[in-house]
Amino acid sequence: MDYSALYPEIILALFAIAIPAVGMVMKDNKYLATVALAGVGLSMVAVAMHFISGNGAVVFDTGLLVLDDFSALFMMIFLSVAFVVILASIKFIDGEKHGSEYYSLILLATVGMLLVASATDLFVLYIGIEVTSISSYALVAFRKKDIKGTEAATKYFIFGGVSSAFTLFGISLVYGITGTTSFAEIGTKIATLTEFQEVIWVALVMVIVGFGFKVAMVPFHSWAPDVYEGAPTTITAMLAAGSKKMGLVAMFKFFLIAMLAIKADWEIVVAVLAIITMTVGNLAALNQTSIKRMLAYSSIAQAGYILIAVAVGTEFALTGGIFHIMTHAFMKGGAFIVVATLATVAVGEKITEYKGLAKRSNFMAFSMTVLLFSLAGIPPLAGFASKMLLFSAPISGAVAGSEWLIWLSVAGIINSAISLYYYARVVKYMYVDELEEGAPSDKLKLPKSMMAAVAICVVAIVVMGVYPDIFIQFCRDAAQAFFA
Amino acid sequence: MLENIPILSLLLLFPLIGAVVTFFLGKNPKMAKISALVFSAIPLVLSLLMLTEYVQTAGGYQFEESFTWIDALGIQYSLGVDGISVPMVFLSTLLVFLAVIFSWDTEHRTHQYMALLLVLELGVLGVFMSLDYFLFYIFWEVVLIPMYFLISIWGGPRRSYAAIKFFIYTHIASLVMLLGIFALYFEAYSYNGYYSFSMVAINAVSPLFGATFQIVVFGALFFGFAVKMPMFPFHTWLPDAHVEAPTAGSVLLAALLLKMGAYGIIRIAFPALPDGAHEWQWIMVIMAILSIVYGALMCLAQKDLKKMVAYSSISHMGLVLLGFATFTEIGIAAGVFQMFAHGLITAVLFMMCGVMQHKTGTRNIPRLGGLAAKMPYAATFMMIGFMASLGLPGMVGFVAEFSIFTSTYDAFGWLLLIPVISVAITAAYYIWAMQRVLFGPLTKEVDTEHLHDLYWFEALPLAVISGFIVLFGMFPALMMDYIRPAVGAVVGILGGI
Repeated sequence: MDYSALYPEIILALFAIAIPAVGMVMKDNKYLATVALAGVGLSMVAVAMHFISGNGAVVFDTGLLVLDDFSALFMMIFLSVAFVVILASIKFIDGEKHGSEYYSLILLATVGMLLVASATDLFVLYIGIEVTSISSYALVAFRKKDIKGTEAATKYFIFGGVSSAFTLFGISLVYGITGTTSFAEIGTKIATLTEFQEVIWVALVMVIVGFGFKVAMVPFHSWAPDVYEGAPTTITAMLAAGSKKMGLVAMFKFFLIAMLAIKADWEIVVAVLAIITMTVGNLAALNQTSIKRMLAYSSIAQAGYILIAVAVGTEFALTGGIFHIMTHAFMKGGAFIVVATLATVAVGEKITEYKGLAKRSNFMAFSMTVLLFSLAGIPPLAGFASKMLLFSAPISGAVAGSEWLIWLSVAGIINSAISLYYYARVVKYMYVDELEEGAPSDKLKLPKSMMAAVAICVVAIVVMGVYPDIFIQFCRDAAQAFFA
Repeated sequence: MLENIPILSLLLLFPLIGAVVTFFLGKNPKMAKISALVFSAIPLVLSLLMLTEYVQTAGGYQFEESFTWIDALGIQYSLGVDGISVPMVFLSTLLVFLAVIFSWDTEHRTHQYMALLLVLELGVLGVFMSLDYFLFYIFWEVVLIPMYFLISIWGGPRRSYAAIKFFIYTHIASLVMLLGIFALYFEAYSYNGYYSFSMVAINAVSPLFGATFQIVVFGALFFGFAVKMPMFPFHTWLPDAHVEAPTAGSVLLAALLLKMGAYGIIRIAFPALPDGAHEWQWIMVIMAILSIVYGALMCLAQKDLKKMVAYSSISHMGLVLLGFATFTEIGIAAGVFQMFAHGLITAVLFMMCGVMQHKTGTRNIPRLGGLAAKMPYAATFMMIGFMASLGLPGMVGFVAEFSIFTSTYDAFGWLLLIPVISVAITAAYYIWAMQRVLFGPLTKEVDTEHLHDLYWFEALPLAVISGFIVLFGMFPALMMDYIRPAVGAVVGILGGI
């Protein structure tokens, strides 16, 4: 059997198993992080081989998994997130116990994401989601003594478990009706289905609820701010930049391949949910006092934007959706890592504690400004390029005849404008406002490895913003492979 | 030799380098100022070079540069200028250079201030030179960021509110405009068969688009531009932003940023969607007249000198739109000339507001009085500014206003009477303000003992701009010769006379 489609997952899983063993010998977390980084790097090489060799799609075992342009691109995104998160974690969990479990679980969570990226079968997809979810539950509770963290983990676990149950129920109904778990075959069966129309509706609702929890879609979002706030911040970065995107990939596959034939039935529902999600996320973010909660709500809003791609469902829209997932991974991941970095030097999570930050660390203030403005969609940063692509997709649909789609764009831009307020507020605190009375004013001494992680994100955002061409090409190839 | 210099790219490059260099000279404010001066002087020289090299009779876009940038979406880095952009480019480089000089006494975070002025110059020049919708939009948005910081760091007491209001209000408008641009982009694809954001490629087919499409998309574009100009009833961000902005910020906001809105109408909305423009003609006329009259009336009621000048901007930009809405060559050319004239005049006015605030500590008109005796030079420049703004013959404002009114009469007949009333109101508020601030008994409300007349760095920019106000007032053809042929092309597309 040809295992080459599975190499990235296999490499990563082997390293995940090896890390606890290494941890027995070397107690220092630093070495474990290095091993984990090596694993991610090797896995990246395996994915890169796909692009270099140009072999086209490699199918594993008659269609459980496929390594094509789509899955390879998402693997790259997920692996990059893992890389940056591990890099930032070196100092963040320096000297804490259970370092080997921490890194091992990060790698396992990433394995799950890779599986979802390459799954062409509902059950593989489900297994991927579960691998990631279960690893993340433990990671959120990594600091056992931290009350907020354990509360967050409990909440996450309960919500996650219930949502998995919904998903599984929906999947089982789909299997019962169509007799297959392969996306492509479900797609063809659904197109010619004459019976069980109502049951398909039930299945759709179940799956929307289940995936809705995973991507924190309103009204299934209430866990996200609490979990994002309570989790160790590096893990928050991974949840927002990685595992949430995994949920979106799952939605792409379920709706745009398996359920594409009956798109007319669900597109309005997804469109309305997208608009509600972005609006609620942005409005709730407006008056947050904790920067992590603010970013969490902004993440919800961004998921709403990406859902536009599902509702429009064309190749062009999917290109935009993929590109936005890519840029969002770096902007949101980067922003959370900035928060994590500052936390190591006693700058807390209250937004007001960022007042006058530019005087204490120009690098951090500048990086955060770039990341936040990119999230707001200000050119020439990456967030603008991807948002532009995403918001233009409904217009292309509207020009082509489905006029109602235009409201998705309108909602998107109104929301963008609202979001500018809370992003700009943080920038204002950092650059415009003076330090608070009695607050320390010394220059910050920041850990180098975390600065490197932040720098990677900032550079990625600027490069993807100024020269998006090659990235858009990748996303377009991915979208083409997806619909092929 | 000269033909081979990518003059437009250099015009963008030097402010960019200048901004970076200036920003990193933070430890040495003096050096930061000199660096900003040098890097704003180079674009000025380049734009003078462009003025001399530009062939007025040739028409079309000149100094064109074009490189593929984002191939996947048909986006090009494409620059070019015609007779409509040339005056704006010259105005931008001149005023940024003079604004740097005028801000010579800035002490608070000098290097950042100067760097932001240069970023602003980059954005504004980019808007005036882009020949690609995408590039145009990027520069359009880039302008917002420096202005946001200029207001929120160096602004007055309510700067936070004013800065965020400016940012969000104009950002919404830009986004609506962006939707319009997308619609053009996709619709043009169905005609051209290839995706392109190029203005030339899209505008070649867009006049053929269906009527409904044109009306809707013109509305979206016009909304984006009308907020920026700003036209009544979308003007409310302007008084706040102006009152709170630092002087150089106000100067550039009024003289350049407002022009971006007007420029967008003439560069994008009209040529791209002529049928839409015809459908919207009366709405434009009504908005223009309302802005003219409303702005002038609001001026009468203002106690704050700067707020008065801000409202006068609304009134005078209304004239620009009125000129455009005639769809005649004279009217549109006069509108473009009014953009140029208003840029010069309003710069003097806002600089004088800054001077008054600086010297007396207040801009409250009733608290001032008799200052001409104490500050003769300042009083002179203030009078020049006021006279030019109320349209005194021999100064640049007169030519523009007169031609706009003539063409309004040609196009709409006696409707002219309504906007003409504003001339009387304008004269009234300026002369009344002048009386109260400069003449009469010396005020006792402010400390007049230690009043210092203009410093060199204040007098020099004022003198230069005043010189141009008179020069172009006496010889409007110096600019009109650039403007007329380019406007002729737009009118040709509009199907007017």
